[in-house]
Amino acid sequence: MEAIPQLAISTILLGGIYALIAVGLTLIFGVMRVVNFAHGEFVMLGMYLAFWAFALLALNPYVVLAAALPVFFVTGLASYRLVMRPVVRESHYVQIFTTVGLSIALQNLALVLWTGDFRFVRSEAASVAVRLGGTAFNLAQVIAFAASVAFTAALFAFMRWSYTGKVMRATAQDRQAAALMGIDTDRVYALTWTIGIVCVGVAGVLLAPLYPVYPTAGLQFVLIAYVVVVLGGLGDMVGALLGSLMVAAVEVGGSYVIGTAWKEVLYLLLFIGILLVRPAGLFGQRGAEQLGT
Amino acid sequence: MGRWAAAAGFFGLAALVPLGVRDAFLLDALILILLWGSTSAGWNIAGGYAGQISLGHAAFFGLGAYSAALLGTRWGVSPWIALLVGALLSTVAGLVIGYLSNRLRGPYFVLATIAFTQVLLIVASRWRGFTQGSEGIPVPFRPGFWTLGIAGKAAWVYLILGLAVLLYLVGQYLERSRWGYQLAAVREDEDAALSLGVPARRLKVLAIAASAALTAACGTLWAQYVGFVDPFYVFSVDLSVRFALASIIGGIGTALGPFLGSLLITTLETYLRARFGGAGAGLVGIYLIIYGCALVLVVRFVPQGLVGWLGERLRRRGVAEARS
Amino acid sequence: MSLLSVRGVTKRFGGVVANRDVSFEVTPGELVGVIGPNGAGKSTLFEIITGFYRPDSGEVHLDGTRLTGLTPDRVCRLGVARTFQKLRPFPGLSVLENVVVGALTRTPDVRHAREQAREILGRVGLGDKADAHARALSTGQRKRLELARALATRPRLLLLDEVTGGVDQGSIPGLVRLIRELHQGGLTVLVIEHNMRVITAVAQRILALYLGEVIADGPPEIVARDRRVVEAYLGQTYAQ
Repeated sequence: MEAIPQLAISTILLGGIYALIAVGLTLIFGVMRVVNFAHGEFVMLGMYLAFWAFALLALNPYVVLAAALPVFFVTGLASYRLVMRPVVRESHYVQIFTTVGLSIALQNLALVLWTGDFRFVRSEAASVAVRLGGTAFNLAQVIAFAASVAFTAALFAFMRWSYTGKVMRATAQDRQAAALMGIDTDRVYALTWTIGIVCVGVAGVLLAPLYPVYPTAGLQFVLIAYVVVVLGGLGDMVGALLGSLMVAAVEVGGSYVIGTAWKEVLYLLLFIGILLVRPAGLFGQRGAEQLGT
Repeated sequence: MGRWAAAAGFFGLAALVPLGVRDAFLLDALILILLWGSTSAGWNIAGGYAGQISLGHAAFFGLGAYSAALLGTRWGVSPWIALLVGALLSTVAGLVIGYLSNRLRGPYFVLATIAFTQVLLIVASRWRGFTQGSEGIPVPFRPGFWTLGIAGKAAWVYLILGLAVLLYLVGQYLERSRWGYQLAAVREDEDAALSLGVPARRLKVLAIAASAALTAACGTLWAQYVGFVDPFYVFSVDLSVRFALASIIGGIGTALGPFLGSLLITTLETYLRARFGGAGAGLVGIYLIIYGCALVLVVRFVPQGLVGWLGERLRRRGVAEARS
Repeated sequence: MSLLSVRGVTKRFGGVVANRDVSFEVTPGELVGVIGPNGAGKSTLFEIITGFYRPDSGEVHLDGTRLTGLTPDRVCRLGVARTFQKLRPFPGLSVLENVVVGALTRTPDVRHAREQAREILGRVGLGDKADAHARALSTGQRKRLELARALATRPRLLLLDEVTGGVDQGSIPGLVRLIRELHQGGLTVLVIEHNMRVITAVAQRILALYLGEVIADGPPEIVARDRRVVEAYLGQTYAQ
């Protein structure tokens, strides 16, 4: 029983980071109707950014965070222009294989440039213990959580109150109507994609002090993000937050009960179960998974 | 007639190679071209003809491969029996996935297939007592046809050629038969197909199950040929993508397409391996970068693949000649 | 004995009632028009008859066989064919192949199905387009293609959703003639149509829906003068 506070706080810390990855994925799906199969590769790029800044310039990952914003803004915009723009209105088939192709190319670009070695970012924060009540966490985890939450909150505020955010939500609801109302959907898609990429890129930087950095490092996180996003309903941003906490709870609780080796199986089974029973997500409209096809 | 001639040329040429070529490296390349072509043709049944895009076919391939390895090592069972067992397991898995696909369309289905493969990967790599975990498991070599312990590359060429021709004929059947028309209708517009009396759900499930079984058969033969099964290879998303890629490049939903696609990508891979031999991970990376870029470019610019593109050109030339 | 019998069909979407207690019969050989302003529930009714939607209550029978609860493909094989309001030809298949799919529902033999498909394409006036891609056709031609595809399943009852919607004026007389011919050939037809001139020209009987309910059912000249029908249409005109 004494483990419960520790588990609960672990869940919240982990859920906060997952949320930042998942929110970008669900935003892109909600507005563009594209599942970004290359999402994990941008997490990986974020992790490498933190690693190289640390290795070459001895920069602290939290300083890199500021630089990550413009870097991933440019990366996002460039990948949209080069790869995504021509296929936004194409069939699922074309979109799926476009992002899958992008994923493979980026993963292996990293492999060729930086080898498959595991790399580690040694941040002093990772060795500082934070005591909360009777529980202890390392500072890197707490910082990653706080930054993720701040970033996610800023994104929510942007979507809710800014004019551009409203335009994006309008496009998500009905792209044809949006186009008829004079909304430049191409710009909306460019911005959506870019914001989604900035989110995951930042998440990657925050994760770098906590996990080893290697070319396929994104896969583990993006699999979790898929689970989260399907759980919360593809395209549903609030659902993504709740989904993140649920997946984190399953992961933390599962590792505690049956050990870390099998924890992934738990959330993958949860995922398959959800797809079977309520494919539109726990909070979504039934049948939504069959729309837009 | 043109397509029969092309297929006869392709497979006929493959049959002639071992008569003149003794070089093990070239024969190995040929075997892999035919094997990856066959696997892709298996994927094509679900992904191409029925339009059920899966990025989890590695799961079926892996089931076939592990059947050969585990049944052979643990109980000394013949790989031919293992082939049937793997195909049967995959059929069951295919039926479950096929049931899923009736409810899930487009990207949701893709996600489900990836998740399924990931579950198998975790089981195979963590269940150390049974599968030897992440170290992988060797496939026993016991000489003889019944145990598929064949050392000669030429014999392997003919064995895999048989598999390839079988899969080509399945594809050919799907292009021409009632099933083929009905699957094409389901792929193009499921509701419209239903309204015309096409039993779309049953057809999709059957297509995926058949696709799974044939992919598993390829997996068994591959394991037997290569002699070693590594869970991180056979259950990887990259492998699933490779199956899809050969079909997409060659011509998705065509009988010969997967083999032409495989000819291109396997040759490229073999060439790079020979050219930069031993460069290890970096080398794998280079051709995977090329795969990735090829995928992006082909679906965008040549969505009907090589077969479709060539067919279109020939038709145009035919029309131009008829006019002049 | 009626061919189609719809009894007390009700369908809700959330709080909206799309069909409320709809009942009517269609006798063999009849050509019945279904009219009503937008949102009256006409298309929902078609989706229910063809098995795409399940009614919340009520039943649909075809010649004594219960259709409610069957999948759309079963309904088709029992003899109900339909066209879609928003046209849905198989875009990647040729015109002939589109029709072959329908014909294969009645014959397992591909060659036989191709012969039938050619014959039907000739009948609907698309004989010279057999090898064209479905996506290359004009809207009027696509309507004919959908019709040909539906006919190839050899229906006993044909449901047409908006035959002339979106078609240029010049193509309308030809489509009207085609429907008349099919009807004279003995086919029972239920047709949704907005164009009152078209519907009074072809239908023997009209069913008027308003807000999901049947408000009139009878010969065209009587339904067209029905006070509630006139109000339903005028009300919509004023609203616009």
